[in-house]
Amino acid sequence: MNIPKTIALLASLLAISTQIHADAVGKDVYSKVCVTCHATGLAGSPRFGQAADWAPRVAGGMAGLYQSALNGTPKGMPAKGGHITLADADVKAAVDYMVAAAKLPKSEPEARKEEPKKAEAKKEEVKKPEAKVAVIAPVVPPSEAATALATTASAADANSFNRLLKPANKRNLPPPEDGIHDPANDGTHALQPPLTAFGSLPKSLAGNRVNWVEAIAQKKINPRYDRNDPKAEPIVMDLNIVREVKGSMPDVVYPHKQHTEWLDCSNCHPAIFIPQKGANQISMAAILLGEKCGVCHGKVAFPVSECRNCHSKKKDMAKVAIPAEAGK
Amino acid sequence: MKRLVSPLLAGCLLAGLFLQPVALRAEYGDVVINRQAEKNGMRPVVFPHWFHRIRFRCKVCHAELGFKMRAGSNPITMTDIIEGRFCGACHNNDIAWSPENCDLCHSGKPGLPTGVFGGHETSGPGRW
Ligand code: HEC
Ligand code: HEC
Ligand code: HEC
Ligand code: HEC
Ligand code: HEC
Ligand code: HEC
Ligand code: HEC
Repeated sequence: MNIPKTIALLASLLAISTQIHADAVGKDVYSKVCVTCHATGLAGSPRFGQAADWAPRVAGGMAGLYQSALNGTPKGMPAKGGHITLADADVKAAVDYMVAAAKLPKSEPEARKEEPKKAEAKKEEVKKPEAKVAVIAPVVPPSEAATALATTASAADANSFNRLLKPANKRNLPPPEDGIHDPANDGTHALQPPLTAFGSLPKSLAGNRVNWVEAIAQKKINPRYDRNDPKAEPIVMDLNIVREVKGSMPDVVYPHKQHTEWLDCSNCHPAIFIPQKGANQISMAAILLGEKCGVCHGKVAFPVSECRNCHSKKKDMAKVAIPAEAGK
Repeated sequence: MKRLVSPLLAGCLLAGLFLQPVALRAEYGDVVINRQAEKNGMRPVVFPHWFHRIRFRCKVCHAELGFKMRAGSNPITMTDIIEGRFCGACHNNDIAWSPENCDLCHSGKPGLPTGVFGGHETSGPGRW
């Protein structure tokens, strides 16, 4: 009869110590798992630190929120944020952390039950912005601190210099840190980190930050054109199509050369483009919706933010001779 | 009027472009394939474009091997792979390591939806 009691005692002790560490754990779980969606409101999730997103949900009570976080919702919240191995308590701690960060006015029924503890949590929240580096750095190993800082930046560090631009240390991350590979999977650690491969390749400013056209032109890489035969040569066609653009943007030069280095005619003709100059209606709106050039650009080939790569031909009226960028 | 509408629409979409989720730190062009995997108790598959395009031109997969250029539109099963279709055309212990290395492909975080990751800017999957 004593053993169950002891277990119960231990369990309650454990529960108490969990409470004490809950804030730290909550933050940790949030910044490793939940941040993927909740930092920016991906798929309609309530955004971290946005009171308006959280208020209506918190009004329904914390119990409901715990349930949603643990079991998922039909509207896109995956059970435990997709990390089925997380302990229930850790997920709840993350919910507490997220709700606390929303800094809702003082009248929620549930959250107020443990006054003193919550008040302290509040204080810490308030203190964080200015003292963040000093407070966090000694406690957490540097790499983790960096992650936590950057991932919560949108909420905690309202006046950080770059709010949306990806900082240099967030580019080309190794698989275990990239947010889509599972660090708990052994194979993840066997995969090649992109920077190891990109070191010797010509750089660009967006996408993989590799200039893939130059990489082939400079013979830094020679991807196979045939699955089995490393010597097969691509059938390259050098035909530029100039598309005049209404308004002030430079005209678009569509180069067949760079495309046929990589692609087969059948990748574009006739499904995406009718092979006839001017026969296709192309607009930026369509491209941004993933049609036309946007089938590849903005997903695998260089992204749409690189306006100049496509809009490379100055208007005739400008009467300035510029080297035809795209014809090289 | 019509002339005005299209640049305006483009403008709105372009504005959206810079508000894409920055928290997704995945490498540009990584595709998560999770139609069947998680339902069958495996982690989602992560396919890295950057790694493969260093070794193969797009044409090999998207014309020769018949991968449709649309995330989630290829009905890949393990049977296909073991019999040499889709990924199995190369991951056959001849061109590349064999399908028994489950955790190199099934390496995604549970719960991820099928789609292209890494700060893509055009909404997908591609349409034409
Ligand atoms: C893959 C994206 C994704 C991840 C990862 C994710 N969430 Fe969510 N979450 C959502 C979406 C989408 C919603 C909105 C769903 C709804 O309205 O039912 C949501 C809603 C919620 C809600 C509010 C639920 C309600 O009933 O109103 C809570 C709480 C929550 N998430 C907690 C978490 C926690 C804790 C984690 C990390 C362990 C997490 N989420 C990770 C997508 C995600
Ligand atoms: C055209 C041939 C080809 C196809 C098709 C192919 N792969 Fe590969 N893959 C390779 C080669 C070659 C390697 C390098 C093998 C080595 O390192 O020995 C590789 C390596 C990989 C790696 C390891 C990358 C690293 O970091 O080392 C992963 C993961 C992978 N492939 C996943 C896939 C998946 C998933 C598919 C199907 C959706 C697929 N591959 C289809 C040829 C291919
Ligand atoms: C990346 C996509 C892509 C690939 C790959 C591609 N094309 Fe094209 N092609 C286009 C576009 C875009 C146009 C311009 C259509 C327009 O102006 O409406 C075009 C136009 C053409 C035209 C019409 C030229 C004219 O002056 O009317 C021909 C012919 C053509 N392509 C042949 C080919 C051949 C042959 C191949 C393979 C060697 C090929 N294309 C590969 C995208 C592509
Ligand atoms: C089927 C996929 C696909 C489509 C569709 C496509 N492209 Fe490309 N494009 C590529 C690839 C792959 C490259 C190589 C560079 C890279 O991957 O970043 C490329 C390169 C280019 C380049 C060369 C840039 C340089 O540095 O020389 C230009 C310009 C370009 N594309 C414009 C266009 C335009 C304009 C359209 C639409 C009319 C278009 N592309 C449609 C796949 C595509
Ligand atoms: C992948 C190549 C590509 C990139 C990158 C690109 N554009 Fe375009 N853009 C096009 C094509 C193709 C057209 C259609 C030209 C035509 O009318 O035939 C176009 C048209 C336009 C137009 C005319 C209005 C419309 O919607 O048709 C504007 C304005 C424009 N682009 C602005 C931009 C800006 C700003 C950027 C950078 C953020 C950009 N483009 C990046 C290919 C591109
Ligand atoms: C070359 C990459 C690759 C390797 C290696 C691999 N898989 Fe898969 N597997 C895939 C892809 C791609 C899918 C399709 C995923 C989807 O649609 O969700 C898949 C789907 C599955 C599925 C669900 C669909 C089905 O056919 O039942 C299971 C279960 C599965 N894999 C188990 C395994 C196991 C077990 C291993 C190791 C023996 C393994 N896989 C190795 C790429 C791979
Ligand atoms: C080793 C094989 C392989 C190579 C090489 C390859 N791809 Fe892919 N690609 C895939 C696979 C696998 C998918 C995912 C298909 C799925 O989810 O069913 C894909 C998907 C895509 C998509 C769809 C993305 C979306 O959101 O719908 C585009 C666009 C694409 N590839 C373009 C390219 C371009 C451009 C190149 C060359 C620079 C290329 N691919 C090289 C295998 C490859």
